[in-house]
Amino acid sequence: MTLWLIPALPYLGALILILAGSKLSKQMAGIIGCGSMGLSALWTGVTGIAFLSGGREPVRLQLWEWFDVAGWNPGVTLYFDSLSLVFTFVITFVGFLIHVYSTGYMARDEGFNRFFAYLNLFVGSMLMLVLADNLLLLYLGWEGVGLCSYLLIGFWYQDPANGAAARKAFIVTRIGDTAFAIGLFMLFQTLGTLNIGAILAEAGSALSGDGAASWPGGPAGATAIALLLVGGAVGKSAQIPLQTWLPDAMAGPTPVSALIHAATMVTAGVYLIARMHGIFELSPVSMQVVSLIGTITLLVAGCSALCQSDLKRVLAYSTISQIGYMFLALGLGAWSAAIFHFFTHAFFKALLFLGAGAIIESLHHEQNIFRMGGLRKELPVVFITFLIGSASLAALPLVTAGFFSKDQILWMAFAGEHGSLGLWIAASVGAFLTALYTFRMVFVTFWGETKTPVTHRPGKAMTIPLIILALFSLLAGFIEVPHNLGHITLFSSFLASVLPSPELITDSLLMEWMSQAAAALLTLGGIGLAYEYYVRNPQSLAGMKRNTGALQRFFHSGFGFDRLYDSLLIQPYTWLARVNRRDITDSLYTGLARFSIWLHRQSAQTQTGILRHYLLGAAIGALIILTISIFI
Amino acid sequence: MTSLIIVSVLAVAVLYLGLFKYKTALLPVSVTGLLAAAAMAAMDWDLEKMYFSEMMLFDNYAVAFSILLILTTLLIFGLSRNYFEKISNNVAEYYALMLFALAGGVVMVSFHNLAMLFIGIEILSISLYVLAGIRRKDPASNEASLKYFLMGAFATGFLLFGTALIYGATGSFNLAAIASSGAFESALFRAGVLLMMVGLSFKVSVAPFHTWTPDVYEGSPGLIAMFMATVVKTAGFAAFLRLFLMAFAEASAFWAITVAILCILTLFAGNITAVFQDRFKRLLAWSSVSHAGYLLLAILAVGFSASSAVLVYTIAYSLASVAAFGIMILVSRARGNDHLDSFNGLARTNPFLAFTLTLAVCSLAGIPLTAGFFGKFYVFKVALAQGYTWLVVLAVINAMIGIYYYFKVIIAMYMKENANAVAIQLNPGFRLVLSIVVFLIFLFGIFPGLIANIL
Repeated sequence: MTLWLIPALPYLGALILILAGSKLSKQMAGIIGCGSMGLSALWTGVTGIAFLSGGREPVRLQLWEWFDVAGWNPGVTLYFDSLSLVFTFVITFVGFLIHVYSTGYMARDEGFNRFFAYLNLFVGSMLMLVLADNLLLLYLGWEGVGLCSYLLIGFWYQDPANGAAARKAFIVTRIGDTAFAIGLFMLFQTLGTLNIGAILAEAGSALSGDGAASWPGGPAGATAIALLLVGGAVGKSAQIPLQTWLPDAMAGPTPVSALIHAATMVTAGVYLIARMHGIFELSPVSMQVVSLIGTITLLVAGCSALCQSDLKRVLAYSTISQIGYMFLALGLGAWSAAIFHFFTHAFFKALLFLGAGAIIESLHHEQNIFRMGGLRKELPVVFITFLIGSASLAALPLVTAGFFSKDQILWMAFAGEHGSLGLWIAASVGAFLTALYTFRMVFVTFWGETKTPVTHRPGKAMTIPLIILALFSLLAGFIEVPHNLGHITLFSSFLASVLPSPELITDSLLMEWMSQAAAALLTLGGIGLAYEYYVRNPQSLAGMKRNTGALQRFFHSGFGFDRLYDSLLIQPYTWLARVNRRDITDSLYTGLARFSIWLHRQSAQTQTGILRHYLLGAAIGALIILTISIFI
Repeated sequence: MTSLIIVSVLAVAVLYLGLFKYKTALLPVSVTGLLAAAAMAAMDWDLEKMYFSEMMLFDNYAVAFSILLILTTLLIFGLSRNYFEKISNNVAEYYALMLFALAGGVVMVSFHNLAMLFIGIEILSISLYVLAGIRRKDPASNEASLKYFLMGAFATGFLLFGTALIYGATGSFNLAAIASSGAFESALFRAGVLLMMVGLSFKVSVAPFHTWTPDVYEGSPGLIAMFMATVVKTAGFAAFLRLFLMAFAEASAFWAITVAILCILTLFAGNITAVFQDRFKRLLAWSSVSHAGYLLLAILAVGFSASSAVLVYTIAYSLASVAAFGIMILVSRARGNDHLDSFNGLARTNPFLAFTLTLAVCSLAGIPLTAGFFGKFYVFKVALAQGYTWLVVLAVINAMIGIYYYFKVIIAMYMKENANAVAIQLNPGFRLVLSIVVFLIFLFGIFPGLIANIL
């Protein structure tokens, strides 16, 4: 079995680029970076076809034993099933396209080789994450992508702001990682293993027995573990309350935003929850928490996206919001719906980011959408593909992939066993917001008059990935179509061997039609409203700005989370650090040093060099030894 | 046994070679002889043979330590080319005396009778008294020799008195007979044990009987100091442990507290005094005192795990000491003295030497990935298994203090500049020995199982 080649190839590429990066030409580095990714994608394809045409049996491949301590011997073991395949496919395939795009985008950058080394390292770690057989290895990949994300956000490190953004991303996700680690400790304490299969088997037998009561750690233990895992997922996937790092992470090069902060890394949290679904099924509370986090996040981020003027920040908030949908679906137990949305989202969000990158590069690094405009005719390919991506993000009915995946989540929010009218309304409002902010961005950027001249047009290396991604953004949805529209369930039945399918409390066809109609109307309404305000009647905006200025500023700041955390956590912490400048814990060591100096002075006096003293000392010592023994 | 004979005959043969002025043959003959001795010792593995009406016992313990002593001597000989020629005309004496000392060391690790212990110690010590003073025209060397001799004689008094008392209490010199005599409660026996402990403590420089160590190390030629720090210390501890393991183990409840007190004293005396030494040789001397303290921890845990811990520790310590003393010799020869400032800028002029010395002091300090880490690890482990947690805590504090002074030389080499420093020339012997040492420190630091499971 040559499954190991999939993560090994990007790692090999990274290794070559790190070791020989300074000696390689840019062309060579590009070939190594893209080539290793391309081969990895190809190999994923081969492995995937073998998997599909075979018995679809999960494959477990132990490469070697990692370590063996006290009866615990986690292996460097890969596990390949349909869920891993979906993620592996997206990571390698979208990753490859982004690599190709980057050769164009970064062509004039001095750090070209370093960029590809990081990018390859990132993809390798991400593959390790989704292919890991045990949670320890998964955690290794998890930390690996965290590290690469830090390196790539701060890629242009000469600007201190980028370094600050990188640190922010690292520290905020680290909070989630810590929760995740504690969750792992608890899991290990409860079960004595971190093997995913063993954990899920244990959870499954508990579920088919008396539910959480027969779980070794009791219901409270299961809930605690599930919530700690959610903590990790929330950090990595930028959900409330740890979402603040993602908008700032746009400081990195745009392909990085596309790869890491849209298509793959931020969905690691989704993967984690879906992979560990057995634990969550034991704890209804944690499921509710997940759906609640998702709902709040998708609304908050949707509102924030409405008021951004930086093209990449609009997309960043839309990512947070779309992952909110995935979390909502996970919380509803609609596992495959969440993964399906991840699947389509990866294509259209990568497309949007790459399109945004092409625009930004053409306009000499201008990111403010209000200084763009009229790009429809200047950049036709970018315009059409960006429009397709936007339509898919806004879930334009019937023709886009985003519609089918989002519709499934909406329907589950209404009709799923954990669904409720409230969740459905919130998700629908979110859909409306999505359409509104997406097309606000499109209209402001591509319609109207030209404000910044186009200095440079994207080459083939950049446009071809856009076109391919655009095709996927349109077509990827048709592998899963609701039963009133054609009933195709390729995707969910593919995942059914890994993820249980949810029960519906109502299967009324009428309700489903109505839900779809409502969602479609809301989407079209959002687009229409954006058209009204930003194309037909822009003057009315000024009045609205006057009336709702404070609210807009609030939305613009992302609901003030940054300021809240600053005054709640950062200020007290820096105060404490200032107060404790002469570190209290250090006093142990300085005390030890002082004690040593004092004792040394005493003992130095014994070094007289005079033999009489030495002999006297020895004789006294011997006498003391003999005296001590009398008292024993 | 064959190896002991080879070493002794070799010493005599080397003397004759000196007499007939075959100076160039000295080193090859010695090296070949030592290799043969090591091979012969290895043949005795698992044989457990007694010799001379139970005076000597070549068990695995004796074999392992004999081989260690022989191979360490071999490493030292590897460094000795062109060394003795510069300080003396009678080069053969050096080789012969060191080989005689080695023979004494082999007796010390294989005795099964108190008389043999005494004979071994004396063969070793008397050779060393001469070696310490071999630079006849150097007052420091003479002083070192005389001090060592007087202190040694004083210690021998204790040792002999203790031996006599034990004979009085048990009626035997034989270790097995002593162990089975059942006289552990008698005051005679107890006093004897303590007096022997004092005598042996002198030899392995355990506080408060360590005071001679820095003066003697400082006055002796560098290579002889290296020999004292490695071969003599290893032999001394192996003898110490062998005696207490085979003869006095049953009475451990009685002497353990004394050993614990000596251990604390030694740790603090060695480490604290080393902190502000500014001469590297003296620093190493004090550090050798502190290592005696760590080794005493293992004596507390009588049993086979203790032998294993002492073996691992002495291997690691000997390797690191060979490198540290060797580089000290090179630096003090090239730059006039062994002051820590003389090491400034070594990383730039001689990266290999700087790296080797860094590795050696890291091993002495017990930093992971070096053999020294596992030396400390096993010693602490056996002490913990015996319940001496408080003692191990103190030992760890001392290890922390140790890092301070060990790293002074690293700082000097890597962070301080010396504008007039020129590269030090290495002869092939040095290069080979230092490379072997580097390799072994890493090897045993990464695969400690290679040496930890021998005994």
